[in-house]
Amino acid sequence: MEVPRLPLALLRAWLPYAERDEVIAELRTEFVAREVREGPQAARAWLWRQVLGSVPPLVRRTFSRGWTGFEPRASRLRPGGPPMESFIMDLRYAARRLRSRPGYALLAILTLAIGVGGTAAAFGLVRGLLMTPLPYPAEERLSLFWSPGDWSEREFLHLSSDWSGFNAVAAFRTKELPLRRGPQASPELVTAIVTSAGLFDVLGVRPTLGRAFEANEDRPGAAPAVVISDGLYGDLGGQPSLVGGTVELDGRTHTVVGVMPRGFWFPDPTVRAWVVEPFNEEDGSGNYALMGRRAPGVDGPRLELTLKGLGTRLRERFNYPAAWDKGRAPAVTPLREHLLGPLQAPLLATLAAMGVLLLIACANVAALMLGQVDSRATELAVRMALGADSRRMTQQLLAEALLLGLASAALGALIAAQGFRVLTGALPLGPLAPKGALDWGMFSAALVLALVAALAVALLPARSLRKSDPQRALAKSRTGGIGARGGRTEGALVIGQVALAVLLTAGAALLVRSVANLRAIDPGLNDTARVAVLDVVMEGNVERDARPRIISDLEAALATLPGVRGVGTTQKLPLRGAGEDWGIGIVGKPDLPATTTYVRLVSPGYFDAVGIRLVDGRLLHADDRVDSERAVVINRALAKKYFPGENPLGQQINTGLGGLERIVGVVEDVAEAGLTDGAVPARYMLHAQVAGMTMTRQTLVLRAWPGQDPAALLDAARKQLAAAAPSVAVHRATTLEAVLTQAIGPARQVMSVLTLLTALAVVLGAVGVYGVTSHFVRRRQRDLGICIALGLRPSRVVAQVVRRGGVLVLIGSALGTVAALVLARLLSSFLYGVSAVDPLSLAGATLALLAVGVLAALLPALRASRLDPAVVFREG
Amino acid sequence: MSPSPSTSPDAPLGTFEEQVMLAVVRTHRAADGSGAYGMSVRRELEEVAGREVAIGAVYATLDRLEAKGLVSSERGETGAGGTRRVFAVTPRGARALADSREMRERLWRGVDLLPLLAGGR
Repeated sequence: MEVPRLPLALLRAWLPYAERDEVIAELRTEFVAREVREGPQAARAWLWRQVLGSVPPLVRRTFSRGWTGFEPRASRLRPGGPPMESFIMDLRYAARRLRSRPGYALLAILTLAIGVGGTAAAFGLVRGLLMTPLPYPAEERLSLFWSPGDWSEREFLHLSSDWSGFNAVAAFRTKELPLRRGPQASPELVTAIVTSAGLFDVLGVRPTLGRAFEANEDRPGAAPAVVISDGLYGDLGGQPSLVGGTVELDGRTHTVVGVMPRGFWFPDPTVRAWVVEPFNEEDGSGNYALMGRRAPGVDGPRLELTLKGLGTRLRERFNYPAAWDKGRAPAVTPLREHLLGPLQAPLLATLAAMGVLLLIACANVAALMLGQVDSRATELAVRMALGADSRRMTQQLLAEALLLGLASAALGALIAAQGFRVLTGALPLGPLAPKGALDWGMFSAALVLALVAALAVALLPARSLRKSDPQRALAKSRTGGIGARGGRTEGALVIGQVALAVLLTAGAALLVRSVANLRAIDPGLNDTARVAVLDVVMEGNVERDARPRIISDLEAALATLPGVRGVGTTQKLPLRGAGEDWGIGIVGKPDLPATTTYVRLVSPGYFDAVGIRLVDGRLLHADDRVDSERAVVINRALAKKYFPGENPLGQQINTGLGGLERIVGVVEDVAEAGLTDGAVPARYMLHAQVAGMTMTRQTLVLRAWPGQDPAALLDAARKQLAAAAPSVAVHRATTLEAVLTQAIGPARQVMSVLTLLTALAVVLGAVGVYGVTSHFVRRRQRDLGICIALGLRPSRVVAQVVRRGGVLVLIGSALGTVAALVLARLLSSFLYGVSAVDPLSLAGATLALLAVGVLAALLPALRASRLDPAVVFREG
Repeated sequence: MSPSPSTSPDAPLGTFEEQVMLAVVRTHRAADGSGAYGMSVRRELEEVAGREVAIGAVYATLDRLEAKGLVSSERGETGAGGTRRVFAVTPRGARALADSREMRERLWRGVDLLPLLAGGR
């Protein structure tokens, strides 16, 4: 007859020590009696009922005894009980200790909360943007073809006869389309995708209402059709009758054939409509990206064979010049990589920086806790002498850490929420930024991080306790002296903090220098601070020949505004990326290899308005009319490349528009695409002389009089445009300064985040140095008092203490420099004009930390130099 | 003339608390003289109340009562050389029990269940 062990073990775990044997023995006795009387089955059931009925009240009692410390008189020779009881006791004690040291508690909580909040915020972003699946089934089979944005309708149609290896392929491009909600309403802009009919087959997502496009809807002559997003559907009233109804898009009536599911987006969340486009064999203009869904099993060698076949067919049909032969190196990029790849570097750099800051915070709090443990050395030694083991003392530290962790988790969650918003606005996330969202995953991360960080910081003091010698501590407590713990662990923590702070500072310094280098680049424009910019879109049904006249009307309307000195128009503004490359031939130079230059179709007032300087000849002006010879202005780079050592004025070029153009002037190089491109050949022609090429999208440029703020002109300009041309929608209104700032780009955005983190890291590092030095001084107080009494000069005391702090900082700086050399490559995609291994940045970081460290050590050092020996002796 | 109600600074006893204390009193006066220890209190409760009681619930309640000062405990010897925690009701505890009984009697006074019993289904 065996008494079951499991229920007794469970019960034993929750009984106080003094009663365990007694209760277990009684249960055994009664179990045996019941087994005899009622059978083993009934006895076993009884035992389980006893145990399971006993555990809840015993757990409640454990909590109560832990909280109140109550121990029955009968049990006082053998106190204690379940581990939870002593842990709750320690929690309460820890809460009392923290309350009695508000400075220490607040500093520790705030420090951890900053590290935890920042890391959780960055984690929330990374999770939302990089770890969330795209909203397309089997997304890994979606790929973008090579040369994205450079395909023509003709090429797409040629390849469409055979898409072997792909289930479906679609061509698409982004376009801002004017939308009218009613016949009399003014147009508002909708970001749309203009596409071939098979786009949703490629993506594998169907509309929730209505249907997707049908195969023949991208043929010439098909009725215009549009699929709208769930968001736009709601904006248009959200009535099911809208499906099958019509909307006015781009000046044409489109039938709404479908509504996409909530949460669907392509290629980014700002797109709210997908419009099917008639594809024309004769259209050779190249603006489309191609995207395909690979057939199952087509990868590796089979995919390469498929792509090679496509390349061959392209070459058979089109005579590509060698410079841009599409058939030469066909390749595909996974869609996920195309959409999210550019976000990876800034997000991971931010997450890494936040992690570094969290490590610094942990080191700081660990040093603080070590200081607390040291100041309690006598108390702890007495406890251990009275029988407490190191496990129990460790539990006390863990209880304190748990409270700090929970408090910093709560504060960290608030910081994470705010930090998340800061990061979303500060980092170069582009249109996918809304995909990162505040959610419980981020707050859970904050809680986990806080607890892990707090428990991690408690381990060091706990280890210190395990090694302590109670007898020696008791013997030394009255006499002080340097026999006490040497503070090596705290020193190591400060070294770690300084190293990490140097790492962040070096990264920030690299970015600061990069941004300075970017700012130093001359974009070639005069006085950008006085220019306002308005992007407008005409409806597509405006005749091409009528567009220049509308542009003139818009310019005339804007010119009447007070404060406006000049107005101009271009179809592409400098500093906003590549685009509008057109072929060029030069009369008299038949051997010139086929090539392109940037082309800008502008109004006569454009050069003055935007600030492009004339170098030679003349600018374009109103006398250059449709019926006169077409005039072209070129920039220095074009002149240098195609007319080296000769005068380009009066020469003729061939743009392929029918007829020739004559060069009438040369202007300064302007950063027509990006800030860092260097001088790139470009040429300028008047809208009026090439009306057939005038786009619906234009940028109006206003130059303000000196003293006038261009941003203040924007509202009046909007109203003026609405009055002058109701069919024109204003897409965006900004200033040229803002465009320039945008062009400096991701480096500046990451810099602002990293600079903030660096400031925090330096502050925490300073706190660490200050704390350790203060603690060092306090422990050496008696020694220093004796030395001062014997005649040591206060300045020597200061030097001695500061030297110790300085040594820690120097060692930390050296380690941080090594780490920075290794890790700076993470930032290399944001650097311009500065190497990732830049001695100036590293030296600057080291000197900054050294200065801060010495200053932080100086405060306790000065206090030490003013010690009063009599007070020290009396306290000792 | 009705007796004046006595004032007590303690909160009223819970039902189970009252039952446990009464079991302690009954067990304390048991003929075998073994005293009111945990398991004997539990057995008394089961016999009188007619339902099964968990030993842990008894010990937890006795702890709570001792913390309130209504019950006291001390170590007593068992025959086999071990020790037991033996409980006794303190004077304050006795007063609490008396108050509880008086309250119950006052509640019952004047209550006639016959019409209610007759009207029930």
